[in-house]
Amino acid sequence: MNTRFVAAAAIFLSLGAGAFAHRLDEYLQATILSVENDRIEVSMRLIPGVAVSSIVLAGIDTNGDGVISEAEQRTYAERVLRDLSIMVDGKSTSPTLVSQKFPAIEEIKEGLGEIQIQFTVDLAPGGPERRIVFENHHHNEISAYLVNCLVPRDPSIRILSQNRNESQSFYQLDYAQAGGSSDPSTLKGWSTVRGSMGAVGFASIFRLGMRHIAGGTDHLLFLLALLLPAPLLALGSRWVGFAGARRSLLQILKVVTAFTIGHSITLALAALGLVRVSTHPIEVLIAISILVSAIHALRPLFPGREALIAAFFGLIHGLAFAATLEELGLGRWERVAGILAFNLGIETMQLIAVAAIMPSLVLLSRLRSYSVIRIGGALFAGVASVGWIVERLLHVDYSVDVLVDALAHHAVWIAGGLFLISLACSLKPKLLNTQPPPSRCPGEPRRFARKLLV
Amino acid sequence: MNHFSIRTLCGVSALVLICSSVTVAKAQTATSRIVSAANIFLSALDERQRQSALFAFDDEKQRVRWSNLPVSFAPRAGVSLKELNAAQRSAALALVSSALSRRGFEKVEQIMEGDEVNKIKEGNNPIFGKDLYYLSILGKPSEKDPWMLQFGGHHLALNITIAGERGVLTPTLTGAQPALYTSNGKTVRPLGQESDKAFALLNALDENQRKQAILSYRLADLVLGPGQDGKTIQPEGLKASAMNDRQRAMLLDLISEWAGIIHESAAVARMAELKADINDTWFAWSGPTTATPGLNITAYYRIQGPHLVIEYAPQRLGGDPSMHVHTMYRDPTNDYGRGIATK
Repeated sequence: MNTRFVAAAAIFLSLGAGAFAHRLDEYLQATILSVENDRIEVSMRLIPGVAVSSIVLAGIDTNGDGVISEAEQRTYAERVLRDLSIMVDGKSTSPTLVSQKFPAIEEIKEGLGEIQIQFTVDLAPGGPERRIVFENHHHNEISAYLVNCLVPRDPSIRILSQNRNESQSFYQLDYAQAGGSSDPSTLKGWSTVRGSMGAVGFASIFRLGMRHIAGGTDHLLFLLALLLPAPLLALGSRWVGFAGARRSLLQILKVVTAFTIGHSITLALAALGLVRVSTHPIEVLIAISILVSAIHALRPLFPGREALIAAFFGLIHGLAFAATLEELGLGRWERVAGILAFNLGIETMQLIAVAAIMPSLVLLSRLRSYSVIRIGGALFAGVASVGWIVERLLHVDYSVDVLVDALAHHAVWIAGGLFLISLACSLKPKLLNTQPPPSRCPGEPRRFARKLLV
Repeated sequence: MNHFSIRTLCGVSALVLICSSVTVAKAQTATSRIVSAANIFLSALDERQRQSALFAFDDEKQRVRWSNLPVSFAPRAGVSLKELNAAQRSAALALVSSALSRRGFEKVEQIMEGDEVNKIKEGNNPIFGKDLYYLSILGKPSEKDPWMLQFGGHHLALNITIAGERGVLTPTLTGAQPALYTSNGKTVRPLGQESDKAFALLNALDENQRKQAILSYRLADLVLGPGQDGKTIQPEGLKASAMNDRQRAMLLDLISEWAGIIHESAAVARMAELKADINDTWFAWSGPTTATPGLNITAYYRIQGPHLVIEYAPQRLGGDPSMHVHTMYRDPTNDYGRGIATK
């Protein structure tokens, strides 16, 4: 892991000084929408920077033969479309791929290649005022987005407003189509009434919450690092044997609930404008929270008080969630509904992640070799958090995100694999950690011994 | 020896012709001046060079063969200053300068000089240098029929369409890295005015105007950069109809940094057109609203009107966005003179 960081840092330093021409450490995705009478024509230009081109290419040249075949082109274009979510008047609508054009693989490697994808979104007949929401989740962590619409060719179509979040991964287009009531003043009034909460939509804020957790790997990493030792018992300065399935589940439940309570409080306070904190120190504190939970997974720092720690750091994570919600530019009253939707989204995704990993954790923690997973996971979280701390404090870019996200991208497979391993191992009883923990450790606190008997 | 004297003769005659063309310039129209500079340039070339410099007027591939990138990454066609001898080179630069205003040509020279600075700083890196700029002529230089003159390389793409007495500079890309350097003890900022005048305009806006002008989202790059011809995006920001006279004058003055690159008579006509449009012209800003005096801004801005798109996009590449910028100047109704060349 360390060598990868060093290598990434070296690439950045050398490019920082010498690279003049090409895109560097981001994946530029520029989208232009053209509203027609019965459809929207969309063209996307995707330009991977030189430092992220290998990540992007891994998803294009999937068989790794150095050539982007026709089939791979189509598969990738379809994947990009799958990573979009497009809503027409609040209804999820799927796009139809029209064409794709790929540069030579060498150009992509040099950060000079531009992938072009064209697609259309069919529009069912609708009212005089329509709303398109275009969200792009493709390579969220490494991308810079540009989204615009053309001045409509059809004079009966008039753009009313365009709204975006700060990164432009979220884009909302409102337009009026003549035929119905086309008096601009009545249209405007109607739009404000309907617009307030609908401005972004409960469902889409809910999904934003889910995406935020799925994409914001730092929040999940904190939670997972904290859960790593949850099924274990602390004995002095060491983690020892399995604490029992019931206690493990209870412990996990307590940690997750405490985290939720913590971040809900600050999210609500900040989103309502009662608390104001600048995002930068929060980002640093979040990285520190991961480091703390990683160290705790190595050596118990606060055994038995994980829930308290989760609640405390939850307060900090909540402030970061609030910053995301802020980007949507909701009004004060829309925010109340917004907070609810966003928090539910966060909760749902969090529970999905925990549900995916919990059975494996409980099963694996009964094994003697669980320490390998615990220490490995803790080291990964620790290294990543130190990387983030340095990045966020010194405003440098070691692309920690890129590396962590590269791993997170395969989260489903990792979780699935872990579960299979845990199933297989638990069938072999001799691997189980049935040995009682050593009972004569120096300075062993009695309460743990007592707990073992219960 | 013989060879040398022929070269000298060519050089001297070219110089004499240039000087004489300058002396009679007063009596000539701008277009006839540019046409004669073009003919002098073409006659100074050998046959092979002339072949590579000339294209058909409607050669769409050559029209769009421009970029912000160094020529080694995005090869240009035409004839480069590097492959010209001294006399040919001065004829080439005389042609470029005949089509530009003094201020415009100075800007071009400063952008090219900046690339020379890159070359020296990078240990004579052959991808940079002030001789890596290409000149091409589309169509036949004429005082009546439309033709085009292109000049560009790293951080520069001038596309000049001449149609009778009219001159069109769109689309044109200017860029600078370094955006600040010293040359002969003097501090040079090739695109310093583009930065400073925009910042002054932003600061001249009141609270309410700023709210409209400042966009809530980040812009990582040009929206209508190289290859994005023929697109008119929905304008955003603050409409100049909501500005006062002084602010509108500042906006026009900022626009003149691009509109005034072309020679004076074309610039005057262009500014008149843009002034007539001013109330339908938008100003939008994205990014930091502070700047370090003497350095370029690190924010993106866009000016858009019925016949105008200007984008100013600082680049993160190189580490310091105040030292690296790309700008774009377009007329969606008249890029490559399409609006006038068909008439």
